[in-house]
Amino acid sequence: MDNQGLVNLSLLDLLVAYGLVLLAVVLARLKRIGQEGQMLWASLRMVFQLLAVGYLLHFIFAVKSPLPVLAILLLMGVFSLQVIGGRIKTKVPRFYRVVGVSLLIGCGSVTFLFCTLVVHYSPWYDPRYLIPLAGMIIGNSMNGASLAAERLGAEMRERREEIETALCLGASARQASKPALRNAFKAAIMPTVNTMAAMGIVSLPGMMTGQILSGTEPMVAVRYQVTIMCAITGAVAITAYLIVLQGYRRYFTKAHQLDFDQGRG
Amino acid sequence: MVNPPVCSVQLTNVSYFGRRPDGGRVRLLDSVSFSAKAGEITAIIGPSGGGKSTLIRLINRLTEPGEGRIELDGRDIAAFDPLELRRLVALVPQKPFMFDGTVLDNMQMPFRYRQMAPPGADSVDVLDVLSLAKLDPELLERDARSLSLGQQQRVGVARALITKPQVILLDEPTSALDRRTSDELASTLREISHGKNITMIMVTHDLRLTQKVADYCFYLEAGRILEEGRGAELLAHPKTAALKAFFAEPLDQEG
Repeated sequence: MDNQGLVNLSLLDLLVAYGLVLLAVVLARLKRIGQEGQMLWASLRMVFQLLAVGYLLHFIFAVKSPLPVLAILLLMGVFSLQVIGGRIKTKVPRFYRVVGVSLLIGCGSVTFLFCTLVVHYSPWYDPRYLIPLAGMIIGNSMNGASLAAERLGAEMRERREEIETALCLGASARQASKPALRNAFKAAIMPTVNTMAAMGIVSLPGMMTGQILSGTEPMVAVRYQVTIMCAITGAVAITAYLIVLQGYRRYFTKAHQLDFDQGRG
Repeated sequence: MVNPPVCSVQLTNVSYFGRRPDGGRVRLLDSVSFSAKAGEITAIIGPSGGGKSTLIRLINRLTEPGEGRIELDGRDIAAFDPLELRRLVALVPQKPFMFDGTVLDNMQMPFRYRQMAPPGADSVDVLDVLSLAKLDPELLERDARSLSLGQQQRVGVARALITKPQVILLDEPTSALDRRTSDELASTLREISHGKNITMIMVTHDLRLTQKVADYCFYLEAGRILEEGRGAELLAHPKTAALKAFFAEPLDQEG
């Protein structure tokens, strides 16, 4: 990477920046508008958490074999599954299996293709590239997966009458639940689609801004941003599609009967 | 339209178990046995929550019995492909759901689901079921959801008839209708059943409807059949205390 334009930050620079927080805290205190405790606590948390992550990444980036890197990716995946599980109240039957498999296939395949075919670097497991790229892909897919799973459950319940009427008229389980599947998929990919459409006009994406600040040519940063957005869109769409496709089946018996108690537990 | 061969329906010791919120099982139907004769209108009457709706949902396999046997002309329905069974045995839900689009779109749904070419607005099939259900062909181009509840109920019946089923199941066909509209629907149902020789099974707590159309009648309460008889006779001379009590209660016309 071209680091010519990079301005390194000294400890003094950091202290000056932190002084801005302290200034805000002092002002809040003097004017009795409150929140000074929260500001102080949050800013300290930020400093220590990021320092910890920085050191962690420092060591991870030194890793020279694929297995530990893959283990870290798996950990990120399991953590995001946990986050989704906590967010959704009414879960699709066999939620963790459905969402876990979808995340694994959706993020795994896209990350692999992206790292081997688009961003050519070696070795393929170089954590400096793999971890942040996979992180962005997993993070966005996690949001998509959670929207898909939540919406599917809600749609199946709301459309119960419609689905059973369709079954009565000879529809298969797949045909009867098609409107629900379409809506769940749409809900899952909408944020990503909106982000893409607004990009560059409403917001300058974080990754691109960061690259530019660290000295990368804007056109190079733009290319990175475009490719990562395409990868994210692909991963979100595949994950969401797999979730709705596996998920709707869990609401039906083999005899095309709607059954909300199927496969519970 | 050639009259399809008529079909009888027979239930033998059918039980159905529902799930309670705590995960336990409740017996909603308890060893129900009855038969509906081919080409007749059979009414199953009884109070709400007695298992009536569950009973007819078993006959087109929208749900599966816990115990017992259900036969169509002597053939166990468990041996049928469920999608094929639902063409032979049509169910009109209590409030038929109208899909997005026109009345014609709704009538064409059974064909689209089966990947068959849907009949057009001027086809014999469509016009035939429209006249059976007493619907004006001009309604075909109307948005289905803009119709009155009575008309929607008729679209539900017409839509179920269009694939020429041998048995029609009706769930509380008049529950959303006013008195005049339900009387009109009653005579329509009677004409369809007798004109086309279609076996009809309806569950209802509408005694007026039962009196007007039922050839044979069963009284179902708390999951058990307590009394049966020819339609008018059962209504005029109930034998069990339970049925007398049911007749004495004011009709709860729930929506």
